[in-house]
Amino acid sequence: MTAGRFIGQAITRTEDPRLLTGRGRYIADVLVPGASDAAFLRSDVARGRIVCLDTEAARSAPGVRAVYTAADLNPLVHDITTAGMPDAPFPPKYCLAENDVRFVGDPIAIVVAENRYLAEDAVELIDVEIEPQDPVLDVDAARDADSELVHPEVGTNTPQIIPPFGDPELDQAFADAAHVVRDTVVMHRYVQVPMECRGIIAEWDPYSYELTVWSSTQSVHGVQTFLAGLLGIGSNKIRVLQPDVGGGFGQKTTIGRDEWAVVLAAVLLGRPVRWIEDRRENLTAAAHARDESMDLSVALDGDGAVTAIRGEYIENIGAYQTMGSNGMGAFLAPFLTNAYKIPKVGFGSQAVYTNTCGKAPYRGPFLMYAVGIEQLMDTAARQIGVDPLDLRRRNVIRAEDLPYTLPSFLCYESITPAETLDEAASMIDYDGFRAEQIAARDQGRCLGIGISLCVEPSAIAFGQMGTEAATVRMDFNGKVTVAIGSSSTGMSVATTMKQVVAEHLGCSPDDISIIQGDTATTPYGAGTAGSRSAVLYGNAVAGASTELRSKLLEIAADALEAAAHDLEIDAGRVFVRGTTTKGISFAELAQVAYVGHDMVPPGTAPSLEASHRYKAPTFTFSNACHICTCEVDVDTGRVTILRYVVSEDCGRMINPKVVEGQIFGGVVQGIGGVLYEHMVYDDDGNPLTSTFVDYLLPTAAEVPTIEVGHIESPAPNPLGVKGMGEGGAIASPAAVVNAVADALAPLGVKVSGSPLGPRQIFEMIAAASD
Amino acid sequence: MHEMALRVTVNGERVSRTVEARRTLADFLRDDLRLTGTHLGCEHGVCGACTVLLDGDAVRSCLMFAVQADGAEVTTIEGLSERNGELTPIQAAFQAEHGLQCGYCTPGFVVSAHAFLAEHPNPSDEEIRDALSGNLCRCTGYQGNIAAVKRAASGSSS
Amino acid sequence: MKPAPFDYHCPDELAEAIAILQRYGDEAKVLAGGQSLIPLLSLRLSRFDHLVDLQAIDDLRGVTAIDGSIRVGAMTTQAALARSEDAAAVPLLAKATSHIGHYQIRNRGTLGGSLAHADPAAEYPAVAVALDASLEVAGPSGSRRIPALDFFESTWATTMEPDEILVAVHFPIWAGSCGWAVAEVARRAGDFAMCGAVCGIQLDGQRVSRAALALFGVGSAPVRAHTVESALTGITVDDLDLSDIGAELAASLDPPGDLHASGDQRRKMAKVLVPQVLATAIDEAKHA
Repeated sequence: MTAGRFIGQAITRTEDPRLLTGRGRYIADVLVPGASDAAFLRSDVARGRIVCLDTEAARSAPGVRAVYTAADLNPLVHDITTAGMPDAPFPPKYCLAENDVRFVGDPIAIVVAENRYLAEDAVELIDVEIEPQDPVLDVDAARDADSELVHPEVGTNTPQIIPPFGDPELDQAFADAAHVVRDTVVMHRYVQVPMECRGIIAEWDPYSYELTVWSSTQSVHGVQTFLAGLLGIGSNKIRVLQPDVGGGFGQKTTIGRDEWAVVLAAVLLGRPVRWIEDRRENLTAAAHARDESMDLSVALDGDGAVTAIRGEYIENIGAYQTMGSNGMGAFLAPFLTNAYKIPKVGFGSQAVYTNTCGKAPYRGPFLMYAVGIEQLMDTAARQIGVDPLDLRRRNVIRAEDLPYTLPSFLCYESITPAETLDEAASMIDYDGFRAEQIAARDQGRCLGIGISLCVEPSAIAFGQMGTEAATVRMDFNGKVTVAIGSSSTGMSVATTMKQVVAEHLGCSPDDISIIQGDTATTPYGAGTAGSRSAVLYGNAVAGASTELRSKLLEIAADALEAAAHDLEIDAGRVFVRGTTTKGISFAELAQVAYVGHDMVPPGTAPSLEASHRYKAPTFTFSNACHICTCEVDVDTGRVTILRYVVSEDCGRMINPKVVEGQIFGGVVQGIGGVLYEHMVYDDDGNPLTSTFVDYLLPTAAEVPTIEVGHIESPAPNPLGVKGMGEGGAIASPAAVVNAVADALAPLGVKVSGSPLGPRQIFEMIAAASD
Repeated sequence: MHEMALRVTVNGERVSRTVEARRTLADFLRDDLRLTGTHLGCEHGVCGACTVLLDGDAVRSCLMFAVQADGAEVTTIEGLSERNGELTPIQAAFQAEHGLQCGYCTPGFVVSAHAFLAEHPNPSDEEIRDALSGNLCRCTGYQGNIAAVKRAASGSSS
Repeated sequence: MKPAPFDYHCPDELAEAIAILQRYGDEAKVLAGGQSLIPLLSLRLSRFDHLVDLQAIDDLRGVTAIDGSIRVGAMTTQAALARSEDAAAVPLLAKATSHIGHYQIRNRGTLGGSLAHADPAAEYPAVAVALDASLEVAGPSGSRRIPALDFFESTWATTMEPDEILVAVHFPIWAGSCGWAVAEVARRAGDFAMCGAVCGIQLDGQRVSRAALALFGVGSAPVRAHTVESALTGITVDDLDLSDIGAELAASLDPPGDLHASGDQRRKMAKVLVPQVLATAIDEAKHA
């Protein structure tokens, strides 16, 4: 695809200069006069009865303005509506813990004080006694008929069960198979960890009856809608503003119970309340991710074609998962076949409550659809004695197979997994590596290579995520303002949307301003999540820009006494094609519309504003292939990533550097997840990895140079773009796991998932040599 | 003696305040002086988002009490930046290499890079990775950050 | 994550600092670089009513050469120690320093603070133990010297009295053809070691005339490998079976296990690291 004047160009970001000079304004930088700071008393017990809660001493501590408990706040909760997935499991709607606590970190009381130091001092003065009860921590034990219940009100620890269903001939396919390969693929619990923790400021004016909220969120409208229900007031009375946000990755798609408490406290107190989460809270009590397993089987025929796949998926959703967003089973089922031509599918799943921190989506929350089969492909290849690259080539969907209808009846029309597989293999010099690997083995070194293919269901667009709108407006001076319902948290929405507008309108990005992150000034939107910004906001902006362009041409045609189809626009000026003198600038056009409107042709509204709400197809499929090489030090258990290549296809790229940046971030989150990050609970349900001392993120010293190749296939939308923000994180875990598994296979070690820290690797090697 | 007199020079400006002894240098800069470019990512000395220069040396301001900076010179990201819309060579390098996305870790990286390049104007790739290993980033996968420091180094060595 | 309140003292005389510790006992704590203490205070895992900041006591800083040793003031920062020309006479110090955390930490962290904190996975305690350093400590009843081998009691515990302050550390300078090495296995660059080794080798021709070896991360205090040192001394370099030596030493260890590595694993790491540091040090000594 040839790059346009702006679309396809790696222009530098307009977000950067102020962020580089420390002028970003994040939630903790927002000054609201009269605001108090909040701190929480949280449970230090995973499950137990609150037998005593006395806040008297705390209330009279220095600088304290209020201390609220469930008795104060919970009755204020009007209705909690979920913007979640259909039939998603739903935890009980407590704001603060009432009679019992259900995970370590469960918020019990909120102290509102002059500053955070004093608030924390006062928290220590709250007299609380919790009678510990045995926590439910293990998903198998939790599903036992006589297990204790995490949520007695719900009556079960498995609020969402999808009973096994699928192709009626599935069993036969397995019975007829030449090979059956089965494994339980495990992904351990790890966490989103945006560099900026959560934060919220709530200001309630009982006189204007208006609520203003600043929220470090991925969706201002989502927060607005939610708070309208929480408080039982009109959403028009609520304004939600998003300051600069230091990353979200899914953890900030909805606000948590502690954030609800801040809003309720502000209403009760009649003064603004601010809460800035600290890192220990963020790691232990915000929301967790992954912690799932899938018992996966594939049937292969004698030629290595996969004929059937069956998966049983179990997901640990913790105690209070966010707003019914989890219960990924329904999401996994349609994509279980990933990039392959597998005709028969069977699937079942269960979402299980435990007395641990609840989950929120994390970059590709349904990624097990790819992780599972990608690991099985390697396992199958080893079992039947073929190279994993060859097995994938045998089964991958190719151009000649398109359009390809999945067993789930979804249709892939334009994807390129086979091409990315070939490109990635070439980039890494696959055959060269295999030779290097053999030579290294002779020296006693364990090198490995891992492939991971993924077709990403990007820009998920059903329900309230199905559309996005843009209003493009030209002002009195001919400059352009674009209002969109996005809430960017670092994914370069402003710059990329400017590129789209500039391309469609024919002016410079410098003449364009993007307004987002404010419910008062932008159209309703679902925010940034689900790899949707390019497709949804891009096309909305493109549509509105195109409409505005038509209006400009109409007015210009009249002013220039030419036909609209003879006109072109460049650098903010409309001119007659082939001439340099016969033209009219945007500024002049604006004057015509706003001042000299008698000059606007009759029948034409003198409007320089256009709105367009774009409805996307339910899924827009992008795809990528990741290949990773590693060395495993069998003495220490340490893994070094040697090289990492990605061949990706996200359709037309608005900004290649932005695309690569998204991939880089996702890949390192995958590397981090597998090799370093591990959220651990002890047998009593205490989180052991509660600070960055123990919860390890990869640093610049641990990551390789990541190489990216681009393929651009057509996309089924006017702009021709596909989403890809999550793809890096979806494909990477299996690439790393497969590389380690490949390195250790000659030692008889079988790797079924993660974590793969030094301890796990050492113990696997030791077990295999016994 | 919970409260102490504090005299410190911040970004070239002499500041005189009374502060609680337990107030961290980071909180003092951010909340007392409203220099909010220094960010808090962990408050236990690991992430590097709070990096400032203390008498020219890069330090974690969350691991200091403001009173410990009495008599010293502190430079924050604001002090390392221009005010006329121009970017410094290091900042320009970060922009050119797409070395930031959400920007939260960025001031810490810029300050750390500034200190590092002042002592090591010609670093190897490995030295750059090692030098940046004390600053955590979640968005960029470090690719742009490493490239930025490399670019800034090659620019300044000419 | 804010610390609990405390009274802050910043005396400019050592005697005053000692007097404050004596007056407040358990309720007072010395503040050196703060890189280990302040996170504990911020997390409210520890709290003290009084902090005694030593930064104004100039006598506690600096490196001087005294008669075959160097004397390093306890408040000398790790960064300053690595840069010090006088300290270069004890090369193991600079080598160990490069493994400590990150440069931002080393600009504030001190030698004395690290030793007094006595983390079993830290580098400096192992260096002190390996080199038979002598720790100069001052208290209400005066000044005394504690041999490094007697200083580290257990995890985060030393044999100093609560009202004593570490003033300086004396490291002997080795003459002749010497080589030094530090190696460790950590999760990431700058992390605490899962297992580490420091060593020094002095050669007389082709013979080992002196050896020092200590391990860290494998117990509640640094482990000095006297047996190995004796086995090495007097032996011709080419006759050494370093992997045998490593295996035997490793087998004698009983290291703890945690999230990052099991006890067996740490033993295996020691088995690999010991020959590695010995070989490196021997090689360096050969070329000295």
